[in-house]
Amino acid sequence: MEQERINELVTKYNENQADPAEIKLIEQLIEEGRIELSQLRELSKLEELVMNVETPSPSSDLDDNFYQMLRTMKGKSKGFSWSRFFAWPEFAPKLAFAAVMLIIGFLGGYLFFPSPSSNKEVAELKDEVLQMKEMMMLSLLEKESATERLKAVSLTNEMTSVSDKVTNALLQTLNNDENINVRLEALEALKPFVRDSRIRSELVRSIGKQESPLVQVALAELMVQLQEKSSVKELKKILENENTPRDVKKQIEESIKTMT
Amino acid sequence: MKTPVQDLETFSDNTLMLKVKDGHLDKLGLLFERYKKPLFGFFYGMNKDVELSEDLVQNVFFRILKYRYLFRGEGDFKTWMFHIARNVNHDHYRKNKLGKAESVESWENRLGHDDAYSVQLQHDEETTMLTLALDRLPADKREIILLSKYQEKKYKEIGELLGCSEGAVKVKVFRALQELKAVYQQLEKQM
Repeated sequence: MEQERINELVTKYNENQADPAEIKLIEQLIEEGRIELSQLRELSKLEELVMNVETPSPSSDLDDNFYQMLRTMKGKSKGFSWSRFFAWPEFAPKLAFAAVMLIIGFLGGYLFFPSPSSNKEVAELKDEVLQMKEMMMLSLLEKESATERLKAVSLTNEMTSVSDKVTNALLQTLNNDENINVRLEALEALKPFVRDSRIRSELVRSIGKQESPLVQVALAELMVQLQEKSSVKELKKILENENTPRDVKKQIEESIKTMT
Repeated sequence: MKTPVQDLETFSDNTLMLKVKDGHLDKLGLLFERYKKPLFGFFYGMNKDVELSEDLVQNVFFRILKYRYLFRGEGDFKTWMFHIARNVNHDHYRKNKLGKAESVESWENRLGHDDAYSVQLQHDEETTMLTLALDRLPADKREIILLSKYQEKKYKEIGELLGCSEGAVKVKVFRALQELKAVYQQLEKQM
């Protein structure tokens, strides 16, 4: 709407000539900020009058009551109180701050020191798993069932490093287990540890303790592989034994030959 | 040493209220001195009862103290205070079921009261008529005129208070003044 028309409307209103439709229009223009209330003379005069009507003063009771209340509230707010500390509106920001700091702390810790702590943890975990496997293996070795004992021996295949307890148990099995398959499996399981001289000498000593030709031949083959000359003496004992089958003797003789 | 008068002049409303929020409850006294009269005027304009109006002013300051932690210092203290004042007023009427303040009896009461009031205070005719006319307005229209008076025509702030735009407040004021004018003219005729 043009300014001229607006001015016309205002004039008309000020002369008390505006009809209801025009008043509606004026309302709309007021809302849009195109007519200010101050332009409507009579109304602004009336508003001015209202503004100037003197406000009655409250009695002194109001002051007395207010300052009494203020004193009471001040008394209440003095000193420390747990209930006020934990009052939700004031406690919430404290709690939020604490939570945020905690999260930042964790994040910082995670971001700045990831490898040592996690590596350490992984190492600890691996160690624990290994210990558990060892324990399981040792307890399985004592089972009556040969299958269980076989399982126990094969468990060592998964172990990268083992304790003396395990190797001793394997040697024990190799020497004493009543089942030949278990003994053979124990021998197989001991192979990764033959670098250890103690185990090598134990294996040599084990030759004399074997009665089963299968185990004897397996041990002889291992000795050849290891070029363990100290085993010749033990192997010769097998040759001297009358109960040793001829095929075995032949095999062992060959083994001795390759070593000497 | 600073005197309270100096303080009263130096600090802005918001600074004082933030101090109150921080636990310096004494500072509320200064705000009380600044606003007890406008607040009283607002309530008195709404209910024409001195004692009740004083109680309601007291209630406003009690709530300001109670909810001081909610004051963020972003908006205008006066707007916040009048917001509380409106709530106090509404709560009072809701509690006392006086919401029907426009009933015939209350009209009669108010008229009787006003007659005495006008004689007692010996206001000039114009002011008396205007006060009478104001009292005859519906509560919402009376409220907007009183808010405009005591918020010094800061329509934007009143808009924040009422939850509407500045333009909408101006229209409300326009309508209220229109009606006030009509009632005023009617009274004039009766005189």
